Amino acid sequence: MAADEGLKPYVKINATDQMKQLMTEYYIDAKGAEGTDRPICWITSGGPVEFLIAMDVIPVYPENHGAMCGASKMGVELAEVAEGLGFSNDLCSYARLDIGSAITHGGPIGGLPRPDFLLCCNNICGTVQKWYEELARYFEVPMFLMDTPFMHKTRYEHATEYVRKQCLELVAFLEEHTGREFSLERFAEVAMLSVEGIELWKEVLETAEYRPSPLTCFDAFIHMAPIVTLRGTPEVVEYYRLLKSEMLSRIEEGISAVPDERYRLIWDNIPIWYEMRNLGQLFARNNTCLVADTYTTAWAIDIKIDDPLTSMADAYTGIYLNISIDLMFEQLLALVSRFSADGVVMHSNRSCKPYSLGQYDLASMVTERTGKPVLIIEADMTDSRTYSEAQVRARVEAFIESL
Amino acid sequence: MIDKDEVSRLSVDVLSRLQGLVGDPYSYARAWKGRTGGKVMGFFCHYAPEEIIHAAGALPARITGENRVISESGAHLQSYCCSLARTGLDMALGGDLDFLDGTVFVHTCDTMQRLSDIWRLNAGYDVHLDVVLPGRLEGDSAWEYLCRELASFRERLGELVGPVDDGALRTSIALYNRNRALLADLYRLRRRDPGVLPSDKALMVVAASALMDKEEHNALLEELLGNIEARLSGAAPGGLPDRPQEEGVESRGQAEARPQAGEKVRLFGIGSVMDQWEFLAMVEDVGGTVIDDDFCTGHRYAGVMAPEYVDPIESIARRIWDGVPCPCKHVTTRDRAELLLERITGSGAEGVLFFQFKFCEPHAFDYPYVKKALDERGIPSLHLEIEQGSVSIPRLRTRVEALLETIRG
Ligand code: SF4
Ligand code: SF4
Repeated sequence: MAADEGLKPYVKINATDQMKQLMTEYYIDAKGAEGTDRPICWITSGGPVEFLIAMDVIPVYPENHGAMCGASKMGVELAEVAEGLGFSNDLCSYARLDIGSAITHGGPIGGLPRPDFLLCCNNICGTVQKWYEELARYFEVPMFLMDTPFMHKTRYEHATEYVRKQCLELVAFLEEHTGREFSLERFAEVAMLSVEGIELWKEVLETAEYRPSPLTCFDAFIHMAPIVTLRGTPEVVEYYRLLKSEMLSRIEEGISAVPDERYRLIWDNIPIWYEMRNLGQLFARNNTCLVADTYTTAWAIDIKIDDPLTSMADAYTGIYLNISIDLMFEQLLALVSRFSADGVVMHSNRSCKPYSLGQYDLASMVTERTGKPVLIIEADMTDSRTYSEAQVRARVEAFIESL
Repeated sequence: MIDKDEVSRLSVDVLSRLQGLVGDPYSYARAWKGRTGGKVMGFFCHYAPEEIIHAAGALPARITGENRVISESGAHLQSYCCSLARTGLDMALGGDLDFLDGTVFVHTCDTMQRLSDIWRLNAGYDVHLDVVLPGRLEGDSAWEYLCRELASFRERLGELVGPVDDGALRTSIALYNRNRALLADLYRLRRRDPGVLPSDKALMVVAASALMDKEEHNALLEELLGNIEARLSGAAPGGLPDRPQEEGVESRGQAEARPQAGEKVRLFGIGSVMDQWEFLAMVEDVGGTVIDDDFCTGHRYAGVMAPEYVDPIESIARRIWDGVPCPCKHVTTRDRAELLLERITGSGAEGVLFFQFKFCEPHAFDYPYVKKALDERGIPSLHLEIEQGSVSIPRLRTRVEALLETIRG
């Protein structure tokens, strides 16, 4: 998560240092747990981490690590390791580079600590299911698949029930593989902290409603790391309090994230990690702030404390990537109006089909409904081999010109 | 007693009918609709609960894309999407599927999931139904969910297409089981003597099953198989296997399956949709034959029997649950590579053809590990990645020839 230095026209966010420290400590702790009796579980970004935290299992996120590798421009070399084993270069680059890193211990932090078991939740994609099956074979460890039925139009009661029951199966799985007992009390505590963290994170993101905005989505991409990896812990709550107060004082002092903010745009899809700094500067130079995105809000879920399991099931099933294009459209539309955006930038990400297929339709729906323009740029989140910087720059500039 | 010429003439008739159908896949559905006034429901995936659609009085017709240069779907699907989705959508948008009253999407991969949305928003058919199958086919919660989702589908279909009563559903299940048994028999006969039917024709026969009314397909199959059995002149033990997946794998399969000298090289095909008839004809041409396969338009379509003496929804759930799993489904208790190895050795295949769509994630993720399992057993294989609409037979020919050479040593 080190890509923020030198985002020149930006005013540096002071809390960044605390965030980095938090993440460094987390990774040192997780890596130090390897080979001890503290269990480590690899989990997908949309997975119900609260169960792990409640059982003192250390969660490790290959996707967050993937973003790190991408931001350090090490994605390609790691992906090539997997390609050498026969994995097609059309597969999700997070998966490819993660498999590469597992084998070579490559990447900016020398790879992730070995998992004792895996928790895969397919609410973000079916890709993670296949990817984690490979990890399970490679590490010879058990895998739990939390299967969250995709929601096309209707939320069916039997789907919620299915996920709720799997929460219980997950508890049994964790008890078996940790030898520990699950405590509903402790779980409720963690869920409460999770909700609190998520609430604060939402409030941080909402500060971008102010004009000029105190933060851009490039900041959000960097500062989302704790809510993804450590939600449910008190440290996260503390951290987002700090970040929120910094954003509020920015608003008070009239500090804007980009100089002379003129245009406000929404970002769709995962960041282009290896290009984030350049893109951030490009938009800033053109007095354009990316005020919100569909990616960091994916974690803005509600968990109700009176029935944590059922609301957990609903929350995890209803996240952005697990709903149909028309339901996504409603959320996108809400972002456009809430953040008073002048248009949308879509990253058509060849790695991520559930995020990208449907964008062409979404784009025309946005323009039809709001009259606002949409720019689609073709890239890949961590594999830079197909990326054309000059082309993207020209298209972004032309787009802003047209606003 | 029929004489030999009569036998082959009859087979030729049946085959040319089925071949004509596969060449113009929707002629049957169009004619059926004209003839019966019934509804035609398109579907993409072999997991679709066809029996329920059939019991509602509609004709399920499988869409498998086609070899075409896309013109309209490019505005909806990026170029990094599999050609099955891209050409399928192109057919819909171009009006080639105008005979459809609706479509049933079954949850499998990320691409199909999004295609369902895009299809619903753009293709403009009256009925659009999703069957959100579980991603995993194991565990009590998944089993219960599967049954309830199928029951919910039955209800939704009942409202939009036609009511589905238990009696009709049981009749459909029996009809579909009969079809599976006959298809399994076709595979059994080909294992005994691949010469009875080249693989392009055999796979066409299977593909045709998903395009026409099962009763009619059963009749054609019976005729075809009867002719083949007669040609094998009494060598056939007769009788139909009741569990096609289990049959032919163990001892009996081994004995039947031993390749004879001078025969074509037996290959096993792995992939999703196999609709490249020219490719298969080329394989036959250069001296190979796909004796058995795991294509979802092939042996996986024949699947396993739906038990007939249980609740009909449970019966359909069982055949989805117990069948050889598609790589989209998570089943830890039955390792896919091991299942494939068993079937490959049971079929007497000497080599494997991976025939996969470019951009197909589920298959691409499984390839390295299945390939490794084959390597460890010394089974040579060839990995081909194709896109419908740009298949180059001459280029593929060289590669298939190289595989056959490796096998022949
Ligand atoms: S990038 Fe997309 S395909 Fe890859 S793991 Fe994330 S959600 Fe799944
Ligand atoms: S399983 Fe593969 S071929 Fe089938 S729709 Fe999905 S990506 Fe395409």
